[in-house]
Amino acid sequence: MASVETAPQQPTFIRPDGKEKVTGSGRYTADLTLTGQAYARFRYADHPHARIVRVDASKARALPGVLAVLTHEDVPGVKYGQMAQDRYLFAKDIVRFEADIVAAVAATTEEIAARAAELIEVEYEPLPAIVDYEAGMAEGSPLVHEDWASNERDENLVADGNTLGYSTIVKGDADAAMASADVVVKGRYTSDPSHGVPIEPHAVVAQWQGDKVTIWSSTQVPYIARSGVAHTLQIPEANVRVIVPLLGGGFGAKCDFHFEAHVAALARAAGRPVKLVFSRREEFVAIDHRREGMVLEFETGVRRDGSIVARKARLVLDKGAYCGEGGFLAQMAAMHACGPYKMEHVFVESYLNYSTTQPSASVRAPAAPQVCWALEQHVDEVARAIDLDPLEFRRRTLIAEGDEGPTKQVFDHIAIKETLERAAELIGYGEELPDDEAIGFSCGWWPSFSSNAGAYVQLNPDGSGTIVTGAQENGTGAVMAMPAYVAEVLGMRPGDFQILYQDTDAAPWDMGSAGSQTTFNAVRAVLDAADDVRNQLLDAAAEQLEAAREDLELVEGSVRVKGSPDHAVSVAEIAASTTIHGKGAGPLPDSPPVEAASCVGRLGFESFLAPQLFTHAARVKVDRETGVVRVLQVAAAHDSGRILNKIGADGQVYGGIAMGIGMALSEGTLLDEQGRQRNPHLLDYKLVTSADGPAMDIEWVEIDTPNAGPNGSKGVGEPPCVPTAGAVANAIAAVIGTQVRELPMTPERVWRAVQERAEQEGDAR
Amino acid sequence: MTRTFVAPATLDEALAAMAAGARPVAGGTDLVVGARQGKAPLPDGLLAIHRIDELRGLAETESGGLRLGALATHEDIVANATVREWFSALADASAIVGSHATRAQGTIGGNVMNGSPAMDAGGPLLCFDGSVILRSASRARTVAIADLWTGPGSTSANADELLISVELPAPAPGTGSCYVRLEYRRQMEIAVVGATAVVTLDGGTVADARIAITALAPTIRRIEAAEGALVGSDGGPDAIEAAARATAEASTPISDVRGSAEYRLAMAVVIARRAIAGAIARARGEHIPIPASPALHGAP
Repeated sequence: MASVETAPQQPTFIRPDGKEKVTGSGRYTADLTLTGQAYARFRYADHPHARIVRVDASKARALPGVLAVLTHEDVPGVKYGQMAQDRYLFAKDIVRFEADIVAAVAATTEEIAARAAELIEVEYEPLPAIVDYEAGMAEGSPLVHEDWASNERDENLVADGNTLGYSTIVKGDADAAMASADVVVKGRYTSDPSHGVPIEPHAVVAQWQGDKVTIWSSTQVPYIARSGVAHTLQIPEANVRVIVPLLGGGFGAKCDFHFEAHVAALARAAGRPVKLVFSRREEFVAIDHRREGMVLEFETGVRRDGSIVARKARLVLDKGAYCGEGGFLAQMAAMHACGPYKMEHVFVESYLNYSTTQPSASVRAPAAPQVCWALEQHVDEVARAIDLDPLEFRRRTLIAEGDEGPTKQVFDHIAIKETLERAAELIGYGEELPDDEAIGFSCGWWPSFSSNAGAYVQLNPDGSGTIVTGAQENGTGAVMAMPAYVAEVLGMRPGDFQILYQDTDAAPWDMGSAGSQTTFNAVRAVLDAADDVRNQLLDAAAEQLEAAREDLELVEGSVRVKGSPDHAVSVAEIAASTTIHGKGAGPLPDSPPVEAASCVGRLGFESFLAPQLFTHAARVKVDRETGVVRVLQVAAAHDSGRILNKIGADGQVYGGIAMGIGMALSEGTLLDEQGRQRNPHLLDYKLVTSADGPAMDIEWVEIDTPNAGPNGSKGVGEPPCVPTAGAVANAIAAVIGTQVRELPMTPERVWRAVQERAEQEGDAR
Repeated sequence: MTRTFVAPATLDEALAAMAAGARPVAGGTDLVVGARQGKAPLPDGLLAIHRIDELRGLAETESGGLRLGALATHEDIVANATVREWFSALADASAIVGSHATRAQGTIGGNVMNGSPAMDAGGPLLCFDGSVILRSASRARTVAIADLWTGPGSTSANADELLISVELPAPAPGTGSCYVRLEYRRQMEIAVVGATAVVTLDGGTVADARIAITALAPTIRRIEAAEGALVGSDGGPDAIEAAARATAEASTPISDVRGSAEYRLAMAVVIARRAIAGAIARARGEHIPIPASPALHGAP
């Protein structure tokens, strides 16, 4: 067992971007105004699924004040999509969901742009909606993409008709093993789609100078946006510069390339800068980036001693109309259907199916919260079936040092069992509670992502420094913490450093704010660059002080000889007399070895690099008469390796719990039978408010993690929203005596579960 | 497209603008939000009424009743000692409308004239026998709240009439009142099911009862059968249950994204029971905090 200790207290961390964000002086993309700026408006599909017979934009073009109207005829006829190229910038022959873009308008005012968009005449031949993504797999079902077979896609995507990606996780022979189990438990669950809901809506401003375009965009992934613009407009990537002003939240919803090329094309056609700002309704229906709906079936065979003999699962995921970056969802969901448990035999299959609804893609920990919610209820049900307390069953089955996962990855330096014990302790499990309250547990895992990243650190003649990073600050503070790390290496103060970031012309490529990767990779690069600077400072000081390098130390803004503090030269003096500039990338960790030859649809998630492990325990109160659930307390214990910035890491957990409670109880997108959203606004898509927040207790179980991020750290950002819904579900079930098998667990669904339970008890009597 | 915006300081100027087709805006919490959501475009002529003194004020009348100027905000109402003591149900309702921002911005005049069947303050105004003073350039009239709401979003006021104030008579001694709403979350909520009860006790007997439903019918309305089940009773659990069931029986809820008709009907019983019990408890002098909803739903 690895040694475990509690995080030491760290000094208060003050974010460089904090004051401007809190006081309102910060400038976001929608705040930009350029001289001569025009306004963009999209014309969306009038049917969720239809063939376009005719588009006539002549009336819109004739409206005074209209500067440009674009359809598919006005842009290169290339398809795009990171993992499968199945979409045009403007729908060409078919519209495949309610907010598919048919045309775009630029006009001198927002009102004229809106009016012009309405004046575009589109004639359709409606096609059958494919909303039931499970039924869409059946032989003879109408297809979302008739030409699916000829679309270019990632070579590891196993596609067939409406199934964009099929993945399996296979270990041993689950069917044969299931027959030998003492008890077999089955369960089926469904989850509605949901949304990331950043408070800042999507916004894009584009301006051309010659054949180069500068695009300000509220994106989490500026370099991926740059690639998307270059590909869809068929221009060199070097001609595209993407700048992200302050970003007002993302939660994954601003990952991937989306609208930058539409606005750039409008700006080119209009001969003016053009600005697009989404309304809240568009932020729901048109961002083609939601958390997917899912159908989940589990079957687990156990022995009476609590060991898991076999796990089978069948998952069906709603991909929506287009692939984008989201082709990995099936395999990711399959790994979460295994979870961080010891299992002798496994067969999990996962289907990622197209439908004529909004595209699904990354939202904070894509696919994980829904699968975790369902699996952890199933785990409780298995525990009950063999008369074990849910805590005790988890104690016996969670992975520990040296155990192997579903693809025979062997784990070392992991502390999930410790997170279980700590969460139980923090929430006071076992203490007497009122009869309308109960506690539930949920455990989970999430990989860290290894990716290229690069940084520069330079020192300026005034003794200050500049950090140049490709990393994207989405609000977590991951980029804002960089000065603290660099200052520590160089013996300087965090306030000595400026950050130049979120400009693709300034810094090396970065995958963006996605995959909990910013600290994991970009800080590795920044620390490597800081080391380079440190070496340059030591070399220069050794010469100036006529001292041996190894006798020097960097302290309080100076390089000095150890033991004789007066024998020193300040960093400012060195920086004024010579050029000090470092660069760094750092070595990437290796993918852990696995045995996954029998798994299908492998996209890289068959191994979980430096897995983040966690347990949440939730205490809830259920109003049995109304089904209204209040979450009173959540205890969150996480193994994210070494914690580099505790206040930032804690912030991720606070926000993750709030997001998790929203998913658990109220955040669900409802669709009509044509696949149109029925609640695309904040009154009926109910986020958790601060008044609903529970008491939260956080503990980091810190162990040095080999083959991981800087200083033995793992990722932090995504996992906090993964296990909360499962913990809340298990607590609800403990109060009402039955499970709520639909997510979100709205008051009406909880109430129905109570009614059904009462009827069953009545029948039993 | 020509748009006009006027912000007069006198009532006469405002009524002239109304006669010319302008529509009033005060807090804008319905008008602006509705326009952004695409429910209805902003009117071409906007009349801002925030400068008009005649529309202000929130005070006890000489007869012990209450006059609420059209511009009284929900925050004003919740903070008013007379409202909290004698018209508790109204304080219960105003305390849970929307968010802090909605309550600071939204006015009772706009709230009443919006005519929503989900209006929290509607049930209390109806049960307290409220009436409104309407003025146009040519006349003034008083309309009972009971005659004002004609359907979802519609009122019996003419397009050129401006609401000046809402008037409530003094409640009888021994009266307690309570408004309860089904709440999915604690802020920024809208009624899915709501119930108001105003109960007057005389000794140990219910002398008078007013019960109204919210978001359970096309308009907020009183349920006579439920009132009848209470009057003359001891206000005990059986009478409360009978009144609550009568409330549900008279409800005609719809199914929408906020809940199915079946769920709303089941909740009508629960919420009405809690509101009636709350009103009777207050009539007996027991303390129930304002707002009553979280307290009665067992919030910690």
